[in-house]
Amino acid sequence: MLEAVTSLPFAAAESLSTTAGGFLPDAIGQLRHEIDERMLRIPTRLNAYGYDPWGFHVDTTRRSTLVTSLLYRYWFRVETHGIDRLPPGRALLISNHAGQIALDAAMISLACFLEGEPPRIIRGMGEYWLPTVPWVNIIMVRTGSVVGTRKNCIDLLENEEAVIAFPEGIRGMNKLIWERYQLQEFGQGFMRLALETHTPIVPIAVVGSEEQAPGIANLRPLARLLRMPAFPVTLTWPWFGPLGMVPLPVKYHIYFGEPLQFEGNPSDEDEVIAEKVEQVKGRIATMLAEGLARRRSLFW
Amino acid sequence: MARFPLEGPEQLFHFTQAATPPKPPRAHRGAEPGEKLLITGIAGGKGRLIARRVADFFQIAGVDRVPWQGAPHNVRLHVVDLRKRKFEDVFRTERPDALVHLAFVRHFRSDPEVRHEVNVLGTKKVLEYAIAQGVKRIVVVSSSYVYGALPDNPYYVDEDYPLNVSRTYPEVRDLAEVDQLVTAFLWRHPEVATTILRPVNTLGYYTHSTIGHYLKQRYVPTIMGFNPMVQFIHEEDVAEAVALALQTGAHGVFNVAGPGAVPLKVAIRETGGTAVSLPESFARTAIGQLFRLGLYPTPPGAINFLKYPCTIDGGRFARETGFSPLFSLEDTFASVRH
Repeated sequence: MLEAVTSLPFAAAESLSTTAGGFLPDAIGQLRHEIDERMLRIPTRLNAYGYDPWGFHVDTTRRSTLVTSLLYRYWFRVETHGIDRLPPGRALLISNHAGQIALDAAMISLACFLEGEPPRIIRGMGEYWLPTVPWVNIIMVRTGSVVGTRKNCIDLLENEEAVIAFPEGIRGMNKLIWERYQLQEFGQGFMRLALETHTPIVPIAVVGSEEQAPGIANLRPLARLLRMPAFPVTLTWPWFGPLGMVPLPVKYHIYFGEPLQFEGNPSDEDEVIAEKVEQVKGRIATMLAEGLARRRSLFW
Repeated sequence: MARFPLEGPEQLFHFTQAATPPKPPRAHRGAEPGEKLLITGIAGGKGRLIARRVADFFQIAGVDRVPWQGAPHNVRLHVVDLRKRKFEDVFRTERPDALVHLAFVRHFRSDPEVRHEVNVLGTKKVLEYAIAQGVKRIVVVSSSYVYGALPDNPYYVDEDYPLNVSRTYPEVRDLAEVDQLVTAFLWRHPEVATTILRPVNTLGYYTHSTIGHYLKQRYVPTIMGFNPMVQFIHEEDVAEAVALALQTGAHGVFNVAGPGAVPLKVAIRETGGTAVSLPESFARTAIGQLFRLGLYPTPPGAINFLKYPCTIDGGRFARETGFSPLFSLEDTFASVRH
């Protein structure tokens, strides 16, 4: 009995390695080809050394994309709907945010890169403390994200880049499992930026991300003590240590909505802006409801 | 009191309204050929290049603490220290129409007192004399460092961004003060076409810049886990920017960006050096000690420039004067390759 139990992991590892030997390297090779070919067609302008003005670097991104594409294809098995609605040129991608780790941002970016025509690099707006973290700051910048200042966002949009923002912010990311798919309060900054730069807003609904790491509590005092934005407790974290951070292999569905073009004065009062923000929020809520209704199961 | 028709919402304080509408600010015209130009700090690398660049257009006089061997014959030189009384005589005898102010101490070999006297008090004097002698246009070459390298800097800082450098690098606060002194002058004297240029890291054969010396080392210290984007410009392009500022009479503060930005370690590689990554705590202590002993050229505050971006938006200057750098990044790096 004991022997059977102890030999089980080995057997599992063995069977996994034979399966992996059978199909993974080939799949990785193909994926690498696909990424290389797509990287040649991105509209982002680069200088003689392969960098764009914000420090995005093709070779670094190519390598990181290979790793995250495996998640996209084989872990979350992402299904993307309506990617052709992503307009050429400047765009502000607005989505629901959940799942304790910002994998939804990565999956939306990959959807635009792997399925978009032409492939697009999605620019993320990072937290203000990220540039102070060694190495993290380099990876963040090389893969196309920047510190989320107003000026950076305006510059990127005026250079016809696509910027992703999560108006729910940390409120959405750390919501608990019984609050899933309930959109939290939206910030207004994105709408003012869209008005100022005449940028179309692409509403996005991500179905699946909200169950990837079911949060059961958020220990705010502990988070404050550790100077972290939140300290989530999920079904697996922190009980299983670092392994507990591995998200459940839920199936992702990403729905791209028709771009919404807003016009108006970017420095209007909060109520006027809030009305426009509500339209975007309402659109995403509808898309989420439709997506949930269409979903057959959590995992496939 | 006459009421002017108001546009938009009713104003709150009618009694503060001016009796006559304000005069539009005087349009500044560019320099005419043959104007007299005085260059302070002419014997430095930038001074020489600027003098050569505009020699056909202006009658040039120069002043510097040290003589310029091999100066062009049509450049009149005064060897005077700007802290001395005789410096004022240069203005009286030359009576320049235009002024390019470059006489700054940017290195740390002289003590902070001297830096303050030359940079801050010197600039103050130069501006006073310029007004007394009726100078019509002034160009002051500041630098993009005045914005400081901070983690929450946006890429592409514009001219309205605060001058933050002394927050983390107090040793160069005099350079930020100079910049603000000239900005105040610019608003107080709208009749003088005043241009403040803030060029990015300047590289070239003649220019002795801190970044130039840094890149010319065989082994170049960098900070582990950080590799910020850095902009560069060729010294000839800075001279070109000064010439354009004089010739267009551009009035205001302008960032001068070069051909682009690369990560610091790419710049080190392209100029032929080898980057050595040091843990930050070690680098701070070591550089602090070595600087105190006079064995390292910059104080530890400079480390922030190896960690965070200080990149600027040069759009305003390009739109105003049509400036566009002639030297590519490759050319710029080649100019300091060892």
